[in-house]
Amino acid sequence: MAVSSWRMDVPGLDGKCGQASRAAADLALGQDALLTNAEVTQANFPLPAVQNLDHFGKKVEDLVKPDHGTTTLGFIFKNGVIIAVDSRASQGSYVSSQTVKKVIEINPYLLGTMAGGAADCAFWQRNLGMQCRMFELKNKKRITVCAASKMLANTMYSYKGMGLSMGSMVAGWDPSGPAIYYVDSDGQRTKGTIFSVGSGSLYAYGVLDQGYKWDMDIETAVELGQRAIYHAQFRDAVSGGTCSVYHITQSGWVKLRGNNHYDLHYQYYPDGHATSANSVI
Amino acid sequence: MEYVMGIKGKGFAMVCTSATAVQQIITMKHDEDKILPLGTHSLLATSGEPGDRVQFSEFVAANVRLYALRNGSKLSTKAIANFSRGELATALRKGPKSTNLLVAGYDKGKGASLYFLDYLATMHDMNIAGYGYGSWFVLSMYDRMWHPDLTEAEALEMMRLGIEEVKNRLVVASPTYTIKIVDEAGIRTVTV
Amino acid sequence: MSAKYDRAITVFSPDGHLFQVEYAMEAVKRGTTAVGIRGKDSVVVAVERKATAKLQDANTVRKLVQLDENTSLVFAGLLADARTLIDRARVEAQSYKLTMDEAPSVEHIARHIANIQQKHTQSGGVRPFGVSTFVLGFEGDNPRLFQTDPSGTFSEWKANAVGRNSKTIREYLEKNFEETEGRETQVLALKALTEMVEPSSKNIDVAVMRKGTQAVYLPSEEVDAILKELAEA
Repeated sequence: MAVSSWRMDVPGLDGKCGQASRAAADLALGQDALLTNAEVTQANFPLPAVQNLDHFGKKVEDLVKPDHGTTTLGFIFKNGVIIAVDSRASQGSYVSSQTVKKVIEINPYLLGTMAGGAADCAFWQRNLGMQCRMFELKNKKRITVCAASKMLANTMYSYKGMGLSMGSMVAGWDPSGPAIYYVDSDGQRTKGTIFSVGSGSLYAYGVLDQGYKWDMDIETAVELGQRAIYHAQFRDAVSGGTCSVYHITQSGWVKLRGNNHYDLHYQYYPDGHATSANSVI
Repeated sequence: MEYVMGIKGKGFAMVCTSATAVQQIITMKHDEDKILPLGTHSLLATSGEPGDRVQFSEFVAANVRLYALRNGSKLSTKAIANFSRGELATALRKGPKSTNLLVAGYDKGKGASLYFLDYLATMHDMNIAGYGYGSWFVLSMYDRMWHPDLTEAEALEMMRLGIEEVKNRLVVASPTYTIKIVDEAGIRTVTV
Repeated sequence: MSAKYDRAITVFSPDGHLFQVEYAMEAVKRGTTAVGIRGKDSVVVAVERKATAKLQDANTVRKLVQLDENTSLVFAGLLADARTLIDRARVEAQSYKLTMDEAPSVEHIARHIANIQQKHTQSGGVRPFGVSTFVLGFEGDNPRLFQTDPSGTFSEWKANAVGRNSKTIREYLEKNFEETEGRETQVLALKALTEMVEPSSKNIDVAVMRKGTQAVYLPSEEVDAILKELAEA
């Protein structure tokens, strides 16, 4: 039964439950019909011109990979390593917590940062802590940052493609000096001097790259880390809460700052933010 | 975007890779070395998904080292390429390794060799090979310029021109590159 | 029916001995001698070369084997047993490097070998390895020398001997050991070995491991030179 016109009179076909009926209707037509926007006249808002709306939604999500609502950063400079993180957890547009601990203290000279799925980060970094401790007991010496990050990367790689979401930096000081390794759930592992991870990382990079100098003193470096996180929290909706800053030296890490974002805002811009269209009151 | 090019000349093989480590739209690192030495006279230039790339190339390197220790003699470049191909083929039907490789090396008696391997376990012995969007611009250029008596200086100039072309025409060209050469004397890094 | 075959081959005696393990150590004592000395900047191993048959190619029967870039091994005892242990150690070294992205310590490899030897004293249907090994290498600037034995124990030594007449040589070392550097370590190793072995480069090999390099055999002229000095002293 050939039908020349594309229009179909199919009542009650808007929404998901209509999909099956539409598909059945297509089959009845004997055509592999690709619906255009014009077809879906029953809907009250424009829908993407695809055959399978449900799967398309998921596909887009996978393609875009909604990013890890976080800002974390780390950099090495002459006087050690600085790690700075925000503390917001969000579920879609709901802020579920402003006081999340995004730095995991693996041991007194190794830190791990968390971005991505909170559960994945927390679990696997604690697991890493256990592996590091076993190494210490077996070998009677501390594990290097290189080996610790490699163990985490191996674990991530073995679960590759199964949906883990973790973007983290393993930072510390070992006999070969300071090191930061970026490790993520794709199995990537790379050593570097400056990293920022998370949805707010682009904003953080902007401030960090512009202010970074190798021979900063400690105070300047801590301030740079805090400032970069503050600006990322300002621009990125899913970053916020407090800004924690850690400093790692040969004798281990120490937490230096833990200021609230709003306090920082009024501290930096007591007369309102210069670049806002309207001053924040 | 990732870029790998290899040129085989008279008595040497030269490989060039982009030196950026990328995560979505962010360049995380500008000095990522994607050319892994295997022993003293072979190189593995890798491209592909970050986890697969590093894990697979390190796996090949570990097995090459083990073979040398067990048997007191090095694997030839051809053997390394065939071993890697075999591993890629086995992985293809279980959990494919999303990585494309160039194996470049120098063997006494045989001279230089360059092998092209891709994630489908294709393997070819080539004079010129490459991967990535950038290679589409450059392969034809190299086809035109290559000749059997190519010298190291000529090859380096070809690499320089290739990089220039990529930066000129490719929207997402990498700003930094690594170039290594392997010949009778071994492996060394060169700059353009 | 299976009662005779499901007994562990290594079982305790009433007075607490593991006889199979002790018999394995006897097998080691029948092997050619090896002396290992840890110096300040090197590890030296002096080994008694096994008498090879006339038609046999002596070069293929060497006691020093390389395990990894910075680690080597010398053994006394059953060569075939040693071959298995050496291969497992080599695989472990590469596996460690692949997993941890750094070289394993000498101790790690020695412990791995010792663990394998121990498993074979506590499993059904297997016999202990008739091998004692010296695992030598460098960790950074520090030379290290470990010894394993058929019971699966391992420990670090400043100087030790395994194989034929090792007891006598060890006693000599206990009396005469001192911290040595450079060539002195080689001299001490040869002094100890030649207590019980005929002093000639025809039946002695000396291997030296220095920082950052593989262990290498000294050329026989150098060995002869030291032996000559010792003879004249």
